[in-house]
Amino acid sequence: MVFLSDKEKEFTYDDLLRSLNEGTVYYPYYKTSNVYSYFVNLIKAIAASKPLVLLDSDINPSEIDDIDDSKVNVAERITPTSFQCMNEVVAAVQNSKSEITIFTSGTTGQPKKVVHSIATLTRSVRVGDRYKGQIWAYAYNPTHMAGLQVFFQAFENQNTLVNVFNQPREYVYQQICEKRITHISATPTFYRLLLPFEQAYESVVRATLGGEKSDQHLYDSIMKIFPNAKINNVYASTEAGSLFAAKGDCFQIPESIKEKFKVVDDELLIHKSLLGSSDSFKFSDGYYHSGDLIEWVDETLGLFRFKSRKNELINVGGYKVNPGEVEVAIQDIEGVRQAMVYGKANSILGNVLCADVVLEPGITLTELDIKKVLNLQLQDFKVPRRIKFVEEISLTRTGKMKRV
Amino acid sequence: MEEKVLSIINEIRAAKEMAPVESIKTDTKLREDLNLTSFDLAELTVKIEDEFDIDIFEDGLVNTVGEIIAKLQA
Repeated sequence: MVFLSDKEKEFTYDDLLRSLNEGTVYYPYYKTSNVYSYFVNLIKAIAASKPLVLLDSDINPSEIDDIDDSKVNVAERITPTSFQCMNEVVAAVQNSKSEITIFTSGTTGQPKKVVHSIATLTRSVRVGDRYKGQIWAYAYNPTHMAGLQVFFQAFENQNTLVNVFNQPREYVYQQICEKRITHISATPTFYRLLLPFEQAYESVVRATLGGEKSDQHLYDSIMKIFPNAKINNVYASTEAGSLFAAKGDCFQIPESIKEKFKVVDDELLIHKSLLGSSDSFKFSDGYYHSGDLIEWVDETLGLFRFKSRKNELINVGGYKVNPGEVEVAIQDIEGVRQAMVYGKANSILGNVLCADVVLEPGITLTELDIKKVLNLQLQDFKVPRRIKFVEEISLTRTGKMKRV
Repeated sequence: MEEKVLSIINEIRAAKEMAPVESIKTDTKLREDLNLTSFDLAELTVKIEDEFDIDIFEDGLVNTVGEIIAKLQA
């Protein structure tokens, strides 16, 4: 069984077992762009219950306050192991006492450090016969929460990972075909890069979206591209890992942890017992302010929908605009592939609402065309005053849109 | 320069379903004569800034077309 397919290289679970058993060191602060070496180091550390700090391959450690540059890529001795089979490795990972330090991607501001146990990182992992033989498109940054979630889910079931993170559209499609990919878990931004629909890919049976708000237009397009796929959402944050089950475009708070959530001024508050640990967390009465604004669909059932991020609201002449709402409206327009809405500082209104728009190939739309459609759907203050057509929208380390 | 300013003004009016103006004079008033709201004026500043790299409202209010042109020529 293949463990990881990365560009031209393939590594089987036997290769992985060999790599884990050889060598007597691991790297507590490891920075590498080699995904296989990264995973070997990760599994080695976890199986040995050693602490590990996950660093982005392109990060400059001086960007982060808590990291001592001189520790990066310095090996530390570890007791040699002689695992006989992968089941032993998986068991060691499941029972690990490792503390894993990860950093928020920082869509704004300095990355925040959060320490997790293996138990919180693997809270939503499901293991069993029905999960065998899955082939995953690995579409997340491996050093961040979502990438870890997908890794543990695939690894504990000894599934195949096919690395497609940050790869162009043609490559992703080629890999889906060639490797017969069955599962994709990615950001809405990743799926939008796969548009427009050209051809159906039948091998995919599950398409999971997470990390950003998605919309019906995108679901419809995904259903066309992957006609056999069930589509679902996940909510996983760097602070808390994976918490909720998806129900259509809503999320449900599981009955067992219902007492650990509160909603104040539409903001979701999470009890500290569900979080990793971090100096940057501030609690009020033991609850953490998630910054996610939600609306109840059915409060007694714990069913809710995400509206926006609190700190993303843009103040335009005293009105608060949710950029996500405007992005959805623009993306619903025929011929638009992706849109990003942001505020530009302005002496009259405080901020002027602006949008960068990526069109599908061969489409011509003007700023006026888009404004006219939006004028019919949105209040005047929500219509962007400057719309720029761009080739692509820049992404953060975790593949989310980076707001200007 | 006047032509560019005129075309930006007409762009803004077009989005509001208002007919284009054919010419502007230095004493044409932005709010009263051209019916521009503060949102429209904000758009005007952003677009003029894109084009000429000058924030016309940076130090106080601008009321007429002539005042815009003066800022751009300064």
